[in-house]
Amino acid sequence: MLDHPEIAADSRPWRDPAARPFVRIRDVSKKFGDVTAVSGVSLDIYKGELFCLLGGSGSGKSTLLRMLAGFEDLTTGTIEIDGQDMAGVPPYRRPVNMMFQSYALFPHLTVWNNIAYGLKRDHLPRAEIAARVAELLKLVKLEGYEARKPSQLSGGQRQRVALARALAKRPKLLLLDEPLGALDKKLREETQYELVKIQEQTGVTFIVVTHDQEEAMSLSTRIGVMNQGEIAMIGEPHDIYEFPNSRFVAGFIGSVNLFEGVVTEDEDDHVRIRSAEAGGDIYVSHGVDCAPDQVLWWAIRPEKITLTRDRPDAEFAGANLIHGIVEDVVYLGDMSVFQVMLESGKRLRVTKANALRGDPDAIGWDEPVWASWSGNAGSVLTS
Amino acid sequence: MGELEWQCRLGADLMTTALVDPAPPSPPWRPWGRLRRWLALAGFSGRWAVILPPLLWLLVFFLVPLVVVIKIGFSASIVGQPPYLPLLTFSPQGDVQMTLHLSNFIFLAQDHLYLDAYLSSLKIAAISTVLALFIGYPMAYFIARSPDRLRNMLLMLVILPFWSSFLLRVYAWIGLLKNNGVINNFLGLFHIGPFTLLYTDFAVYLGIVYTYLPFMILPLYTNLVKLDGALLEASADLGAKPFRTFLSVTLPLSLPGIVAGSMLVFIPAIGEYVIPQLLGGPSTLMIGRVLWDEFFTNRDWPVASAVAIAMLVAVVAPLLFLQRAQNAVVER
Amino acid sequence: MKRGLFLPVVVTFGFVFLYAPIVSLVVFSFNQSRLVTVWGGFSTKWYGELFANPQVLDAGLLSLRVAACSASIALVLGTLCAVALTRFRRFRGRTALGAMVSAPLVMPDVITGLSLLLLFVAMESLFGWPAGRGEVTIIIAHSTFCMAYVTVVVQSRLSDLDLSLEEAAQDLGAIPVRVFFDITLPIIAPALLSSWLLSFTLSLDDLVIASFVSGPGSSTLPMVIFSKIKLGVSPDVNALATIIIGVVALGVAIAAVLQSRRR
Repeated sequence: MLDHPEIAADSRPWRDPAARPFVRIRDVSKKFGDVTAVSGVSLDIYKGELFCLLGGSGSGKSTLLRMLAGFEDLTTGTIEIDGQDMAGVPPYRRPVNMMFQSYALFPHLTVWNNIAYGLKRDHLPRAEIAARVAELLKLVKLEGYEARKPSQLSGGQRQRVALARALAKRPKLLLLDEPLGALDKKLREETQYELVKIQEQTGVTFIVVTHDQEEAMSLSTRIGVMNQGEIAMIGEPHDIYEFPNSRFVAGFIGSVNLFEGVVTEDEDDHVRIRSAEAGGDIYVSHGVDCAPDQVLWWAIRPEKITLTRDRPDAEFAGANLIHGIVEDVVYLGDMSVFQVMLESGKRLRVTKANALRGDPDAIGWDEPVWASWSGNAGSVLTS
Repeated sequence: MGELEWQCRLGADLMTTALVDPAPPSPPWRPWGRLRRWLALAGFSGRWAVILPPLLWLLVFFLVPLVVVIKIGFSASIVGQPPYLPLLTFSPQGDVQMTLHLSNFIFLAQDHLYLDAYLSSLKIAAISTVLALFIGYPMAYFIARSPDRLRNMLLMLVILPFWSSFLLRVYAWIGLLKNNGVINNFLGLFHIGPFTLLYTDFAVYLGIVYTYLPFMILPLYTNLVKLDGALLEASADLGAKPFRTFLSVTLPLSLPGIVAGSMLVFIPAIGEYVIPQLLGGPSTLMIGRVLWDEFFTNRDWPVASAVAIAMLVAVVAPLLFLQRAQNAVVER
Repeated sequence: MKRGLFLPVVVTFGFVFLYAPIVSLVVFSFNQSRLVTVWGGFSTKWYGELFANPQVLDAGLLSLRVAACSASIALVLGTLCAVALTRFRRFRGRTALGAMVSAPLVMPDVITGLSLLLLFVAMESLFGWPAGRGEVTIIIAHSTFCMAYVTVVVQSRLSDLDLSLEEAAQDLGAIPVRVFFDITLPIIAPALLSSWLLSFTLSLDDLVIASFVSGPGSSTLPMVIFSKIKLGVSPDVNALATIIIGVVALGVAIAAVLQSRRR
């Protein structure tokens, strides 16, 4: 086993313009007859990353994964892995292994034979195969289960066998198709943590396909959000969440409040937006590249908004301030979610961590409140 | 979807060694690698190793025989070995002559026997199918609605006769239906009969229904067992009496099964030979028997071939019609 | 829902109808008298006569040999065909293959038999092979029509098979041929076995096609039985029937026990 290689999460090679990408996907598209599953996707993935392709059904993420594995031909474009063009290379000759959504464990083989299958294809000596299988069983914590058949395992155990089998050949690239989908919530959380640990230990580049944004956020070094066959945004989880590049990405990850407005002041260091929905002005403390009087949207996350009973001091000459009535309060234990009905008829979603136990001053139903936020609390979106 | 594509590109082997690290294990010696590359260049992938054996076999032993039948259908009968004239002959000048004798087909069209036999076959097959449906449907329904353990046993009992010899089971009916056979002897105890049961059309219906009953029951069963019990309960809940529920819910939904089962009985029954031969009378006309007699009794190969061609055309037509009907039912 | 007496009565009648002939065959095989319809006392002499009859024994062995060979050939060809039709997307001759392999299912036996005989005769006059018809021609004929049944069964099983299993094997480095033998074959083995048994039974049972394509000295068991029956009812045929039914019943019982034990 490789000894603590440099973790991509620390070195962040994608920020280095001189770094060579491990997987280059250039202008790839795939058509099934008239249906375009993937369209014009270009993507660079660096060695040692845990990259997540995130999207809903029909977004093309699974098709892209299958093209990386070699199960689908490319209609256009190229895929390079470690500098080598994969055109015409069948799956059994790629340095890539895949963990299937249904696990695809061979039902007639034992756990040991399932894991050893890939190693046997390489015609390795018996002793080496035995050593490697033992190593993997230890890694996924399934020692003692060698002689069982897949039908005798639980869902979580099968998942671990599938992972061990996929890692057996020390692939350069490991593809995972919805690896945690079939597990219940508790198991999912545990497995998420284990998966990241295994990836860091082995240093293998992971590409995970998922529709679960929480999973993507917790696992990945970077996320590629896909929508209808195209890449909507690529970035670190933090960037995707805090600095989305479009309404789609903003709405897809977590919850968001969107306001439509028109730019009234456009300077280098700030922008002022007038929004009827907000019933006031929004002051953004950075410059935005846009045309005069352009219609755009402003997005703010629920946790970035503060609710007060009294009107706060106007910091931005009356901007970043809305009045409304609390329509609903949902207590979730760790936080509370407020639905505030604004004068414009729009609903604002605000969340607040319950830092004080049994806060007597907590805001309740039907109270009039002021919602306020800072100058850089939200993002301006032009699409 | 992954194809079992076995394409080989030049240099692919070279690429493999560059990929794997550390030192790759030596690949097993495959001497046919070069041959594969040649074939791949010629446009044939490894898939053809799978496609060719059955394809060639069927071409030689299915398609060509039919061509030969057509050829001989246009030939004339002679005394000799083989008992027909060759289609192509060499004239004294050395060029090839092809003689088509249409006499066989004209003969078929003129002699009433063949048309009568064909229509009679259709009639007998149709009546037998309906009878099989009347007996088979309740049986399939009962089995489908039975509890699991009983159901498997009943299914086994239905399929068991199919695995034992078909010829012997038809033979058994001879013993039962004879004038001094089991049935007549039994009825004789009550001073009833004897009835002439054997060597009649009735015996043929009985034989066909008996032989093909499992083929009617199984598709019906498969269809009925998938029927959602909740639908029947819903119908009852809305106030329908059991028989009404049957007519308006069960019957329409089981239509695909009825069509499938009927086809499995009707089509083979048209061309039956053994049953009419053993159980039918001299007036029981079926086209399969006619063909057999032409060939074995009259030794007239060309006419037999012509009958075969006519049968193919006449059987394929109802088959296509039924298939279209089935597709229409499925679409609905 | 039909409650009450109607269903059970019809069903009972149906099963009586199915089994009455079989029962009568068995009963009268033990009949003392030659008349297959009047009971003359218990006797097993017909079984003795059956085994002393060389014609029947030879025909029986021939039929078993032919059935085993045909079933095996049909299994191989039918499986290849099923693989081609379910796993390969497009290839030249795909519709032809699909049509030719399912045609024997709907063609009357007499036509299949006649066409193959005419082929063999033509081949003999052109190439000299097959020289006279016999076991080989029967095997060829049976393989051809049994292939259709094998293809139907295996095709249905293959299309149910989860493709991701085969993809996983390829992903782990197995070439398609390897995938078939390592993964696909073991998993569809029960379907292969049942289609072999089906072909065996169909071949054993066939009268019409064998009558057309057999030669002198190569009579199958059904052919021998048929000529005996045409002369009239004969108790040693009953004895033969009882033996066959006994073997089949035993086989089905064993299969049922094995199945339930697996569950």
